[in-house]
Amino acid sequence: METYQLRDVTFTYPKRNHRALSNINLTIRQGDFVVLCGASGSGKTTLLRLLKPAVAPHGTLTGNILFERAPLDDMPLRDVASKIGFVAQSPDDQIVTDKVWHELAFGLESLGVPSTDIRLRVAEMANFFGIQSLFRRDVATLSGGQKQLLALASVCVMQPSVLILDEPTAQLDPIAAGDFITALSKMNRETGMTIVLTEHRLEEVLPLAAQVLVLDAGRIIASGSPREAVMGLREVESTFFCAMPTPAHIWAAVDSCGCECPLTLREGINWLAVQRISPQQSQAINSSAQIQSSKYSFALTLKDIWFKYEKNAPDVLKGVSFTARHSEITAILGGNGAGKSTLLSVATGLIKPQRGKVSATHAVRLLTQNPQALFLRNTVADDLREITSDANELARTIGLCELEAVLESHPYDLSGGEQQRAALAKILLTQPKILLLDEPTKGVDAHYKQSFIKILRRLASEGMTIVIVSHDIEFCAECADNCALLFDGDVVAQSNTRAFFAGNRFYTTAANRMARGILPAAITADDIIEALHEV
Amino acid sequence: MKFNRVWISLVMLATIVLTIFAGIYFLDDRRFFVISLLILMQIFIPFAFLYESRKPPARELVMIAVLVAIAVAGRAAFFMLPQFKPVVAVVIISGVALGGEIGFMVGAMTILVSNIFFGQGPWTPWQMLAMGLIGLLAGALFHHRNKSISRVVLAIFGALVTVVVYGGIMNSAGVLMFQPQPTRDMFLFSFMYGLPFDIVHGVATAVFILLMARPILEKIDRIQTKYGDFRRNS
Amino acid sequence: MFILHPVMLVISFVCAGVYAFLLRGVRVLMRGLVLLLPMMLVAAAMNPLFNHRGVTILTYLPNGNPVTLEAVLYGLAVAGMLATVITWFVAVNAVMTADKIVFLFGRFWPALSLLLSMSLRFVPRMIRQGRVIVVAQKGLGRKPNALKVISILMTWALENSIETANSMTARGYGLRRRTAFHLYKFHRRDVFALGWMITMALVVGVGVALGVNRYRFFPSVQFHALSGASVIVFVSYFALGAVPIILRAKEVLVWKRINSAM
Repeated sequence: METYQLRDVTFTYPKRNHRALSNINLTIRQGDFVVLCGASGSGKTTLLRLLKPAVAPHGTLTGNILFERAPLDDMPLRDVASKIGFVAQSPDDQIVTDKVWHELAFGLESLGVPSTDIRLRVAEMANFFGIQSLFRRDVATLSGGQKQLLALASVCVMQPSVLILDEPTAQLDPIAAGDFITALSKMNRETGMTIVLTEHRLEEVLPLAAQVLVLDAGRIIASGSPREAVMGLREVESTFFCAMPTPAHIWAAVDSCGCECPLTLREGINWLAVQRISPQQSQAINSSAQIQSSKYSFALTLKDIWFKYEKNAPDVLKGVSFTARHSEITAILGGNGAGKSTLLSVATGLIKPQRGKVSATHAVRLLTQNPQALFLRNTVADDLREITSDANELARTIGLCELEAVLESHPYDLSGGEQQRAALAKILLTQPKILLLDEPTKGVDAHYKQSFIKILRRLASEGMTIVIVSHDIEFCAECADNCALLFDGDVVAQSNTRAFFAGNRFYTTAANRMARGILPAAITADDIIEALHEV
Repeated sequence: MKFNRVWISLVMLATIVLTIFAGIYFLDDRRFFVISLLILMQIFIPFAFLYESRKPPARELVMIAVLVAIAVAGRAAFFMLPQFKPVVAVVIISGVALGGEIGFMVGAMTILVSNIFFGQGPWTPWQMLAMGLIGLLAGALFHHRNKSISRVVLAIFGALVTVVVYGGIMNSAGVLMFQPQPTRDMFLFSFMYGLPFDIVHGVATAVFILLMARPILEKIDRIQTKYGDFRRNS
Repeated sequence: MFILHPVMLVISFVCAGVYAFLLRGVRVLMRGLVLLLPMMLVAAAMNPLFNHRGVTILTYLPNGNPVTLEAVLYGLAVAGMLATVITWFVAVNAVMTADKIVFLFGRFWPALSLLLSMSLRFVPRMIRQGRVIVVAQKGLGRKPNALKVISILMTWALENSIETANSMTARGYGLRRRTAFHLYKFHRRDVFALGWMITMALVVGVGVALGVNRYRFFPSVQFHALSGASVIVFVSYFALGAVPIILRAKEVLVWKRINSAM
C-alpha cells in the first residue's frame, strides 16, 4: 500500500517568481523510512510540510498529492489529524500544555476520546518511550531531549499511520539526538509506522533509511536507497556532499575503483583498508601534529576556578584552569552538565567565582546560544544600526557575515544559519577583542557551518581571540586551533586540535575513527581525502 | 450566533436584576456580600459559555496565552515596586490590538494565572472582573482605529481606567466583602484610603503604555499580516 | 465563614487555623495574618467611625457623631471574619494547585481550561527566556534595560507562538466535541466525605434559616439563648469545618506509624 503518491507537484509561494518545488514525483510505501535532505532553501521543508495539510505553507500548488490512494485535499479533518502525525524542530514551541500527562492526552482530547480510553492509550505510549517517570512532571522541568521525546510520544498516541518530522534533532545535543533517532527507528521497526523526515545530521539517520531523496533548488536530484542516492549525487557533482556521512564524503571525493560506497563507519574502515596509502603520506600528517607553535601570548586565563550557584548546592566548576591565546580559536568540548555554560558566564564576568582568578587582556564579549535573544528591530539592517551608525563598520561587517541579501528581512524570517550570522554581526559591531561563542552551530546546516568556519578563521587571522563552547566535535576539529575537554567541572585535557583528537579513542571525529589504523593523525575528512589523492 | 448572544445577554440581565431584588428581600445582614458574589458569577459563567460556544481557534488561544504570560512575567519582574506594574498596560494594549472580547479574556486570565503563582484570595473574582472590564473598554473604544490612536491618548485613558475602574471596583469590593452593613461613608473612606496606591498604579500604567504601546502593537500587527487573521483556523 | 456569630466565627477560625498549620506550618500562617493586620485594623475601625447606631455611647467623634460600644464590637467581629477568611485562603492556596483549577474548568469549558494550561506553560518559559535575554545583552557588553528586554521577549514569544498553534491544529485542535482528560478518580471515600459535608451543611443551613442561633448587634447586642437546637448547629458547623483537618491528620498519623515501624 502506498502511503503517499506525488505526481508532478509544483509549488510557488505568494509574490515569488521562482518555484519552490517543481515537478516532484515520488511514492512512499507503508512502513518506509524516508529521509529528505538538501541545503537550506532547497525546498525540503516545503515538500515535507505539504504532506500535512494543517502545517502546509500558503501558495499555489499544482499536481496531485494522494494519501493512501485518495486525494489529500479530500481527506476529512479528523483523519488528517489522527493519521498524519507531525513533529516540528523546536521542542519548546510545539509543546502546548504545562503537564506531561496533559500533553500526551492533547491529541486524543481533540478527537473527543473519552477519559477512560485516553488513560489506557497514554499509559501505553509512556511505556513504549520509557517516560513513565516523567508522567506527572511539569514540562518546564524537562531537558530538551526529554521534551522532544514527549512531542513525539504525544503525536504517536493518536496512532498515526505516518509520521512527518521537520529536522527533529536540530536543537538537541548529540546524545539526545541519538536517543531520539533510536526511538524513531524503534517506532518504525516495531509498529510499521511510515516515517518521513528532513535532517541535516545524516551520519546516524542515513543507514536507517529505506529511501533517501536529495533536493536542490526545488527538484529531486538524487533518490533511491542510501547507496543509490549517494551514487546519484556523485553523478550530478553536487556540492551537497559536505553534509553526507564522512565515509560517503571521502568515497565520493576519491573512489575510482568502483567499490561500493561505504555509509557507516565500519564500512568506511573496511573500505579504507583496501585503498593504497603510502607510508610517507601518513608520516607527513603525523609530523604536522607535532609542530605546535606558541607564538602568541595568553589573552584569557582562568585559574583554579571554583563555582557553585548556592551555598548548599554542589560545585559546578571544580578548580578549572583554562587558557586561550591571542589570535587563536580555542574550543571547549564536553557533554551536558559538564559546566560549559557556567564556565562561559564566569569567563565573561557575568558571575563571580567563589575561588580562583579570571584575567583577560581585553573586555570579553559573549554570543549566547539562542540568536533570537538578541533581535530587537524589525529588519536586520535596523537591528545592526542599533549597535552603531558607522557606515564603514556596518558595510564591512555585513560583507564579512554575508548578510547583504537579507538586510531588509525580519530577523525571524531568516533560516537558522542566517540568524546565527546576523547575531554574530551584531556582536562584531561592538568591536570585541575576545569573543566567546556558546553552541554556535545549533540548528545550523552543513553548508552554513562551512561559511561560519571561514568567517571565524578570518576573524582570528585579524587578531581576534575566539573561544567556542560546543558539542559539535566535527565542527571543532575543522575550526579550532586548540581544544579542551571539560568534564565534571574540570578541564581534563587541553592541547592543539590535531593532538587532542588523534590522542582520543572514543571522543574524537568520525574521520579519525575511520582512519585510525592507517592515518592516526587524520582528524577531518579533508585530511584523508588529501592523503588518498597524493597516492 | 447573533441571536444567541442577544438572548444570553437579556437572560443575564434579567437574572442579575432578579438576584438584587430577591437578595434585598430575603437576606438580611449578608445581603450585599451574597448579592455581589452572585452577580459576579452571573457575569463570568455566561461569558465563559459564550466564549466556549464560539470555538476559539488555536492561534487566538496561543495569542491570549502569550499576552497573559507576558503580563504575569511583568508582574513578577517588578515585584520590588508595589503597585508599579505593567499588567494594566499589557491588558489595554491587548484590547486595542485584538478587540474587546480578547481584551476581557487577557485581563481576567492574567489575574487568575498570576494569583495561581502569587496566592488566591477572596478578591480574585473582583480583580478578574475589574481587569477584564478594562480590556473590554480598551477594545470597545480603540480597537477599530488602532492604527491612528495616539500614545498619549492611550496613556491618559490607561491612567484613568486604572484609578476609576480598577481602583473603584477593588475599593468597593473591600467594603462589600467585609462590611456586612456598608454605608456611603465607608465607600468614600475606602476610596480615599486607596487613592494614593491607585494613583501610583495609574501613573505606572501611563508610563508603561507610553513606552510599550507602539512596539507591541507593531509586533502583533506583523504576526497578523504574516500569518493571516488569527481568529480563523489554519 | 461569613457568619458573624461569635461562636461560629471561633469555630471556623480554629478549623481554618489548624488546617492551615497542618498544611503550611506556623510561619506561613503567621506571615499571612501579619501582612493583613493593617487591613483588619481598617475594617474594624470603619464601623465605629461610620456606623453610629447602637445604644451604648462610649464617646463622641470630633464631628459630633457618637462612637457606640455595639459598633466597636461589630467592628471586632468583622475583623475576626476577615482573619478567618484569610486563614482559609492560606490553606486553599496550598491545596488548590494549578492542575486542579485546570481540571475544574475542563468540566464545563474545555477551551478555557486549555487556555489556562497554556498560560501556565508560558509563564515559566517567559521568565527563563527573560533571563537568557539579560545574559545576551550583558554578553554584548551592555547594561540590560527592562524595556528592551520586554520588547525582545515579546517578539520571541509572538513569533514562536505560530509554531505552537500549528502543533495544536496538527493534533486536531478545533475538531468537534473536544474532551478534557484528567487524572482524578472519584473513590468511595470521596462519596462518603461529600455526603457527610452536604448533610452537615444542610443542618447548619436549616438551623440558621430557622433562627435557632439568631444574633444582632444593633441597636443592642443580643444573642439567642443556648438551646439543644443551637448546640446541634454549632456541632454540625464544627463537623463540617473539621473534615479537611481529619483527612489531613489521618494521613500524617499513618506515616508516623509507618516510619516508626521501620
